[in-house]
Amino acid sequence: MADHLLEVKGLKKYFRLGKNQVLHAVDDVSFYIDEGRTFGLVGESGCGKTTVGRTIIRLYDADDGQVLFDGVDVHKLKGKEYKQLTRKMQMIFQDPYASLDPRKTVGAIIGEGLKIHKLCRTKQEYSERIYELLEIVGLSREHASRFPHEFSGGQRQRVGIARALAVNPKFIVCDEAISALDVSIQAQIINLLVELQEKLKLTYLFIAHDLNVVRHISDDTAVMYLGKIIEKAETNELFDNPMHPYTIGLLAAAPEADPDYEKNRPHMLMSGEVPSPINPAPVCRFASRCPYARPKCMEAEPELKDIGNNHYVACFKAQEGWI
Amino acid sequence: MQERILEIKDLFFSFDTYAGEVQAVRGVSLHVNKGETLAIVGESGCGKSVTIQNVMKLIPSPPGRLKSGKIFYCGEDITNYTPKQMQKLRGKEMSMIFQDPMTSLNPTMRIGRQIAEGILKHEKISQAEARDRAVQMLGKVGISNPEKSYRRYPHQFSGGMRQRVMIAMALVCNPKILFADEPTTALDVTTQAQILELINQLKEEFGTSVVIVTHDLGVVARTAERIAVMYAGKVVETGIARDIFYNPKHPYTSGLLESMPSSGKSSKTLTSIPGTPPDLFSPPKGCSFAPRCKYCMKICQEMMPDLIEVENQHSVSCWLMHPQAPKYELPGRKSRFTQNLKEGI
Repeated sequence: MADHLLEVKGLKKYFRLGKNQVLHAVDDVSFYIDEGRTFGLVGESGCGKTTVGRTIIRLYDADDGQVLFDGVDVHKLKGKEYKQLTRKMQMIFQDPYASLDPRKTVGAIIGEGLKIHKLCRTKQEYSERIYELLEIVGLSREHASRFPHEFSGGQRQRVGIARALAVNPKFIVCDEAISALDVSIQAQIINLLVELQEKLKLTYLFIAHDLNVVRHISDDTAVMYLGKIIEKAETNELFDNPMHPYTIGLLAAAPEADPDYEKNRPHMLMSGEVPSPINPAPVCRFASRCPYARPKCMEAEPELKDIGNNHYVACFKAQEGWI
Repeated sequence: MQERILEIKDLFFSFDTYAGEVQAVRGVSLHVNKGETLAIVGESGCGKSVTIQNVMKLIPSPPGRLKSGKIFYCGEDITNYTPKQMQKLRGKEMSMIFQDPMTSLNPTMRIGRQIAEGILKHEKISQAEARDRAVQMLGKVGISNPEKSYRRYPHQFSGGMRQRVMIAMALVCNPKILFADEPTTALDVTTQAQILELINQLKEEFGTSVVIVTHDLGVVARTAERIAVMYAGKVVETGIARDIFYNPKHPYTSGLLESMPSSGKSSKTLTSIPGTPPDLFSPPKGCSFAPRCKYCMKICQEMMPDLIEVENQHSVSCWLMHPQAPKYELPGRKSRFTQNLKEGI
């Protein structure tokens, strides 16, 4: 038994785009998640957060580094052992319209994992389990014979959750699981995820770009920028006391549903846009947009270091206390 | 009394499909004052986009069909304007920016020409003058090196930059109203903040009224002076931004505000609205929110409530506003700002 349920060490995933062009989607990412906790991963589009999730459950092969699940390296498993692992890790996808097979009934979609892993001995056991799963996620048993197009976005996301739960996983990657949904439906799905976590002792990797949602659901949060984790801490610590200039800018940019606060908060606009992740130079990746950048930032790459309170940050300014 | 630039009165709009009639907009009345920002908020399918597209007559008919209602622009009835008359308004008097800047720009045309096209259409000026105006406008919306960018194609820009081009195109003829249909939904937070700031700044500069359509209450809080909340094709509540956020009177508004995670709350469960919005093929007879409402009364299922003004500029369409109805204190947002003030932070 390992210390942590999931531990990611120095994970790298590069995409080769052609001659001498390498897109560094994930570049040396490390973190761990303890059992029963939720780890939030935030960042703007293209920062590599989805690639991290997909590499963890081995939808992509890693270029370097390890993903240890219960102490076993996911990327070294073969055959039967790998199949056993897929029972323990599942994923919920962003787009509930694209992630369900339109030609299968909801029952067949949910039951696919049960069949593959031979989890039910009799036909009756199989359908009972599907009914049970549907009820767990707040749908009813009549829905089993219907097709995905007959459902609304929120209901489809529930089907996606039921499919993930079918094989009794320990760990679920929620990749932007609620961002395609309307506000009032988002709250329903968040509540469902929280409730299931308590009931089934699940561990989540929660990938999202909505900061308020991540703050609500996660125990620990990491911020990614251009393939790297640039700051990582316990969620409240990170949001109340952000140290990396990018995190500070990101929090300032996210609007809150509070007009008085919005009117009076300091507006700090981050200038520019995210640079290209193709062949990045080994310097601080945020330096080109950073208002505090000094020559040092353009020469070396800051490492992710603990600055106390389990608060990790990859920034010379924060580490050395520049003013 | 403020000058009303736009007034929509009792608009009914439907789509005729093979499956039947979709009643997308069912009696919407709203107005836009000069120089203000109005936000229309609602979930997908509530008719918010249809309402504003209908003002500019951008919906092909059929399948769209205007059933009844009037639209007044600067006091003039434009409801029955011909396509030719509308062409004079579009771009010159009112213009629109869309959610997805990639699909709304012409991919085969240099962006400079796309911007200049509008000026040439509406004003009697030479090509060269139009070009200068377009370049100037590109600079105003924060595109670096406008001279060079003038000759670029849309695919050479990032999402945020394309949205800036859209804004340049929309504002180049100095329209009185700018409609922004989910202008930042496809963008990242930091880019979103830049675009919202830009819209605000140009609004001040040109004195344009802005109608922003969105489902994101954070965006609303940042930009809007007045808000109209829509549900199932109707405006259920409208008022000044502060009233809507801190003192909502309609259970739907209150539920929507409560279902957003906020930084102050510690509880892990969010208050959510159960159920889903009604099917607009056959909308319910009574209040459309009644099946999901926790305060639902008998009358709510029988009759549609009218939009009644309860306080200064604050109108609500709910039977709870009736003198005989029981009174509830509906929860709204708590302002972090005033809380901080009280605590002396």
